[in-house]
Amino acid sequence: MKNILLRISGFLCLVLLSSPQLFAKIKSEKINFNRYYFQQDTTKKQDTTKKVPVAKPADTVKAPVNPLGGARPVTTPAPVPTTGTPAPSATAAPAASAGQKTITGTVVDEKKIGLPGVGIKIQGKTGGSVTQENGKFSINVTSPTDVLVFSYIGYQSKSLPAGNGATPLTVSLVPSGAQNLSDVVVVGYGTLKTKEVTSSVAHVDTAQFRQSGARNPLDLVQGKVAGLNLTRTSGSNPNSGVNVQLRGAVTVTGSSSPLFVIDGIPGGNPDLLQQDDILSVDVLKDGSGAAIYGTSANAGVILITTKKGKPGAPQFNYSTYFRKEYIQNRLDFLTTDEFRQKITSGALDAQDYGGNDDLYGSLVNKDNLSQNHNLSLSGGTNNTNYRASLNYRDLQGIGLENGRKEYTVRLNVNQKGFNDKLNIQMNLASNFNNANTLGGSGWEEELVKNPTKRIYNENGTFYFDNQSTNQYARLQQERSKRQQQTSSADIKADIDLAKGLKGSVFGSVQRDSYTDGAWASIFSERSVEDADYPGGGYASKGNFLSQAFAFEPTLQYNTIIKEKHSISAVAGYSYRYNVEEGQSASNRGFINDQFHEDNLTTGIALTDGRATATSFKNDNTLIAFFGRINYAFDNKYLLQLILRHEGSSRFGINNKWGDFPAVSAGWNISDENFMKNIKWVNYLKLRVGYGVTGNSGFSNNASRVVLGGGGRYIYPDGAYRETYGPTTNVNPDLKWETKRELNIGADFTLFNSKLKGAVDVFDRTTKDLLDQYTTPQPPYVLANIYANVGTISSKGIELALSYEAIKTKDLTFSMDFTGSTLSNKLVSYSNDIFDVKYKTFGGIGGSGALGDAITTYEGAPLGEFWGKRFAGFDAAGKWLFYNRNGVAVHNDQINYSKDPNLTDLARIGNAIPKYYASFTANLAYKNWDFRMFVRGKFDYQILNTTALSYGNPSIKGSNYLRSAFDKYSQINDTYQYSDYYLEDGTNLKIDEITIGYSFKFKTKLIRNLRVYATGQNLVTLTGYTGNDPDFVLDSGLGPGVDNRNAYPSTRSFLFGLNLGF
Amino acid sequence: MFLLVGLGFSCTKLDENAYDQIPADVFYTNKNEVLSAVLRPYTHANAWVTPSGQNGWWRMAELSADQLAWPTKGPHGEDGGQWKRLHYHSWNVDEDGYNNAWNLMYWGMGLCNSPIQNLENRSISEMGITQAEKDSYIAELKLLRAFHYLKLMDLFGNIPISLTVPTGSVPTSEYPATSSRKEVFDFIEKEIRENIEKTPKLSREMLGRMSQAGGYAMLVELYLNAEAWTGTPRWDDCIAAADKLITNQGGGQNGAMALDNDILSQFNTTNDLSKEVIFSVAYDYKRANFEPGFAADFFHFAQKDIYGGGRNGNDGVVVIPNVYNKYDNDDQRKKQWLLIGPQFKFANLKEPVLGTVEYAGKPLVFVDNIQKNSKNSTVSTMSEGEENSGVRFNKYRLGNSIAGFALNGTDTVRVQPDPNYNNTDWNIYRLTWIYFAKAEAIMRKNGGVATTEAVTLINDVKKRAYTAAAWPSHAYTTATLTLDELLAERGREFIFEGFRRDDLIRFGKFTTTEWWDHSPSSAFRSLYPIPQRQLDLNSKLKQNPGY
Repeated sequence: MKNILLRISGFLCLVLLSSPQLFAKIKSEKINFNRYYFQQDTTKKQDTTKKVPVAKPADTVKAPVNPLGGARPVTTPAPVPTTGTPAPSATAAPAASAGQKTITGTVVDEKKIGLPGVGIKIQGKTGGSVTQENGKFSINVTSPTDVLVFSYIGYQSKSLPAGNGATPLTVSLVPSGAQNLSDVVVVGYGTLKTKEVTSSVAHVDTAQFRQSGARNPLDLVQGKVAGLNLTRTSGSNPNSGVNVQLRGAVTVTGSSSPLFVIDGIPGGNPDLLQQDDILSVDVLKDGSGAAIYGTSANAGVILITTKKGKPGAPQFNYSTYFRKEYIQNRLDFLTTDEFRQKITSGALDAQDYGGNDDLYGSLVNKDNLSQNHNLSLSGGTNNTNYRASLNYRDLQGIGLENGRKEYTVRLNVNQKGFNDKLNIQMNLASNFNNANTLGGSGWEEELVKNPTKRIYNENGTFYFDNQSTNQYARLQQERSKRQQQTSSADIKADIDLAKGLKGSVFGSVQRDSYTDGAWASIFSERSVEDADYPGGGYASKGNFLSQAFAFEPTLQYNTIIKEKHSISAVAGYSYRYNVEEGQSASNRGFINDQFHEDNLTTGIALTDGRATATSFKNDNTLIAFFGRINYAFDNKYLLQLILRHEGSSRFGINNKWGDFPAVSAGWNISDENFMKNIKWVNYLKLRVGYGVTGNSGFSNNASRVVLGGGGRYIYPDGAYRETYGPTTNVNPDLKWETKRELNIGADFTLFNSKLKGAVDVFDRTTKDLLDQYTTPQPPYVLANIYANVGTISSKGIELALSYEAIKTKDLTFSMDFTGSTLSNKLVSYSNDIFDVKYKTFGGIGGSGALGDAITTYEGAPLGEFWGKRFAGFDAAGKWLFYNRNGVAVHNDQINYSKDPNLTDLARIGNAIPKYYASFTANLAYKNWDFRMFVRGKFDYQILNTTALSYGNPSIKGSNYLRSAFDKYSQINDTYQYSDYYLEDGTNLKIDEITIGYSFKFKTKLIRNLRVYATGQNLVTLTGYTGNDPDFVLDSGLGPGVDNRNAYPSTRSFLFGLNLGF
Repeated sequence: MFLLVGLGFSCTKLDENAYDQIPADVFYTNKNEVLSAVLRPYTHANAWVTPSGQNGWWRMAELSADQLAWPTKGPHGEDGGQWKRLHYHSWNVDEDGYNNAWNLMYWGMGLCNSPIQNLENRSISEMGITQAEKDSYIAELKLLRAFHYLKLMDLFGNIPISLTVPTGSVPTSEYPATSSRKEVFDFIEKEIRENIEKTPKLSREMLGRMSQAGGYAMLVELYLNAEAWTGTPRWDDCIAAADKLITNQGGGQNGAMALDNDILSQFNTTNDLSKEVIFSVAYDYKRANFEPGFAADFFHFAQKDIYGGGRNGNDGVVVIPNVYNKYDNDDQRKKQWLLIGPQFKFANLKEPVLGTVEYAGKPLVFVDNIQKNSKNSTVSTMSEGEENSGVRFNKYRLGNSIAGFALNGTDTVRVQPDPNYNNTDWNIYRLTWIYFAKAEAIMRKNGGVATTEAVTLINDVKKRAYTAAAWPSHAYTTATLTLDELLAERGREFIFEGFRRDDLIRFGKFTTTEWWDHSPSSAFRSLYPIPQRQLDLNSKLKQNPGY
């Protein structure tokens, strides 16, 4: 296998090297691969007025909605359309026909703007016409009863009688909705039309994005891709990320985030993307499509395409929004007054420190106002086009000193040459940001400390004590910031080498660097209470640099044999190299606050050997050879084959390379004759695919014995120096995880194209799970070895639907629905050598070392809570739990063994929602538009750690939830983890409501103007009593444990404006 | 195109680089690298020999006995019931904590095997050391390895012996099998005897390391417990090994080995200057930036206010009720090694240290009981503690990092920051313990009755705890120094030092007697179970009898 691939790559090298000669030879062929690019943008709002005929649908491949019908390639229409193509029959009887009439009119889109390039034909007859730039047309008909058929890509066809031509016709075309069958889907190293796709791919483009102040590119597609699960455990903290999981957990320790491919950059950085720069997002959900990305693809692949310039007049687009956030869900703790009253009444034995501050409230940035400004300019000619955008964002969190200001520039240039045989595309993007990371934490501390504690002493200085941190003072007296620059540059050259054969060379560089600085004043609590240098301040500075290089030459070949056999193939080589390095240093013992972190040497801790200095560097290489073949017979029977041969420097010497094959097939049933009579089915395709992918997302040097420092010890000369010993057990067999996945799906359009959707069923198994497996000691030195042992599986069903309920001139109403269900199992965690019967996850945290909440046994579902079963309280308020015989006993009689045959612990719940669903309603009435987005998670449990820790009235020293004095009042015992604190997490959230208004202008100076208002996180319906259930991790292996220190859940309101001119 | 040509040479090259780590095969190239590997097991010993805040040997050796416990204190310390199960002797075969101790101890053992194997396989020229250095490093490491097996055998009895480290995957057929406790005992004895003379004597240069002195101390421990561990008493061997140390034949870390004259020199911040320390884990926060680990288990949440240092703890291990009263009031150890009563700030002795949980904002007063005094409860169990429950550890001292005050009699004296703050070494063996062992061996040989020699040995160490005036009324005689009294005195002298479980076993009391919240357990509980995790992984291991 390796030899074959080497030969293929050798051939590829040869062809590329000789390509200058090749393209010098071939000049006259007309192959318009590159024109695909300009059809990807389905944001008709922006491009309809300036539609340039050359950007019409690429027709070298048969277009399913070719306006003129038939398989005959259409030549590029002339800039000024003909006023009517003379039909053969018409020329046969020139001017003689008394019925011959010229019908004129205008074709407009849903915004009443003239549509150029709309194909018009006469039903059942030959001849036709095309609309001009302003949408006007004229066509000759022979009878008033002739039926004119208007067709345009992306719009529903319309038929109407020609009439007598007395008055010009106005024909309104309406967009054909979310899933246009001619949409181009990005599938990695190329594109396919929706109709040709055989694997499970979700395509979401600009028109379907959520237009509501996205913080992350994936926010745009939330609720649009069934099976894509986003959890934002840090809420709206502007310096936090989002947890992404596709189709359940596929790994234990490997990389669990999908691979991002941005304009072809593998491992692209989503931080470089602004909402307005994104054209479309494609998600390769199953292995049969993702295999093209081999060892990086186990968690799925998310391909993001950015907007490109378009030929035509220059365009400016400006968009902005302002957002204000309000705390939505504050946990119900006693207020200072209530706490004090309870002390007075004797209900509470606590100290009154005399303060009257709202400690938690003091951390809230009530004046928060975030803003976003984006200006893009684009334009070009047929040979060169460009798009540049400049973005400025100032994101302010709900916490003080918790914000982020950033600038992003992005530039895209495309240029053709050599008679359109060469197309070069360049992207350059850079993000400069300043993050204030000091705030946004400390919420739990101020929520649960004795609320009579003060912020200030009587004399106006900050109140400090050893037992807690004055978080408000910390925000005033410390500093923590990150200055980051992230850039990427990529270039892609496409060369038409021969008819149907194209060569591409792609190269990219990404560079991410930041400087962190932190400082604490000599008056700060951290400094005052420092053990070694009390009052000596603190300062640190660190740098990080990450560079990622990719080089990927490919060859693509397309051909149609005998009109029915369509073949497209791609073969390529991929070289990826990543390197990371950094250093940091800190010092203490300063005499004043003069230098902050900008002159680290002046602290005394450095002299004493108590300052810190660290540095690190690591790199890894990934090399692959890959190929894909798509074959279609008569556009009905589709087959796709993929093979990737890939190696990683991280793998052990015995297993450097692996193969990742995939096969998938599709059947466009609705094109079969026997389906023609089933009128309610407009389109139906069945798909089945099987693919193998891998995961190489683990640390470097995991397969060999490396030595690490073990702390300093005394040498014979009395000096203390570092000691070194092995830090890993050797495993020369270490390799990638392998996921095998079967996907069966159907795409359909039903009921007059009103209902569209896709359903997918999948069954995936990841074998050779990477983890730290327990080694027998002895002979192994360390307790764990990084090895490939276990198996994890998931099975599920996903459904995506969109329904156009009403579609009239003034009113449209449509709905989108996605739903998914999943069963995720740890099939095995043992092999001949390593034997693990169970694994625990989900640390409960807090006092009392309650351990992990989740125990996953071999063969059992992920996310199962294992714990004690609550049996009530005894007369003294002590916990009682059921033992395995159903007898209520005290905790010290509970058998905590993990052996299911002995233990008194039981399966008490599951933290992974059984069902996910989302619903979007879109309503447009004249100039108004309205969108509501609702999503929910159903049938799962959450461990309410806040109640566990702060609802227990017998525990002293902190503030209490109000429920400690009613619901939980009888507890007179220490913290215990049991099903008593498991609550139903089911929730339904009205996540977004947007109302917008589009102005109409007579002038040509302003192309469009829309203003909108959005409310986010408006209503949460749930029985759960802890934090916002949305903040509780519901993916991965340790879900379901609520966070005591959760970032506040906020409700936000946003006002935005989009302007095109 | 030229890019591709340039790439052609590295088209399929997947070498792995290490920049900030050291692949094992490029090490041992100079003397300091050799030493850095020889010394690695000592920094690791911090984790398992000392009360480091982890489940290592120390917790298992103390918290199942009759002096120390980790009761639940309000919200803290329930910890899945693991401390109760230690106290009640009701542990399961699959306790994570005991597997952790096994992991840590065998890891340390592997950190001895690794340099032994590397040193043996390399020439002295490639390592830049002399043959004498090579031999002495290997002998030292073999003694240190024997020490690991000694403590493993102490807890688990019948254990596997392994002397190499894997260089590739190990077939399950090559996993080591269980050796009986007797076999392990014999192996340890043989290793010590074969290597003790090749190992350097204890000296200032060997501070904190295994030496001849440490080797003799191991022999003393081995022979003292020989009857309990193998059924065969070895009292004469025990006395002989003890005499080697008492007569300074193993060297000393500060000149000739001798008892210190007081009861603090062994435990204070300059205990590297003690004359009686035989083997210790050395700490020097100032130069190594590495602190002794005991604060975590012993210290209260506000402990640093009490002693003027920088470290608080988890309010974990406390003294079981009434152990405090086993010291008479003239005994300086009662005052010096234990903390009780109201606590005052080191920085200002007039200001009380405040509690943080049940006594938040109120004076912190350590009491010799474990019950909810704040609720006027007298229920005294492992479940009913509060933040101030139990008398506290004060034997080892970290020193003070800030200036403050101390009471000297009734006078308040100003104390400057301790230049050796946080440098306190943790003793594994000290000469006092050898004196006790020898005295016990003599008594055992003598039918459990003290001889004059035994009484002298014990009196020599005990009198340091008394003023000259008070001492005569507390000195032992051959009549008063019974075996039971010896056990009680061992308790007073070696509290917190990790020997109590062994003492109770040797005196036949570990599983048969009751104390505080503990009832007699079963004889098989004298050994901990082989962790189920290990049995699952290595089918050649056998579970200990009774489990």
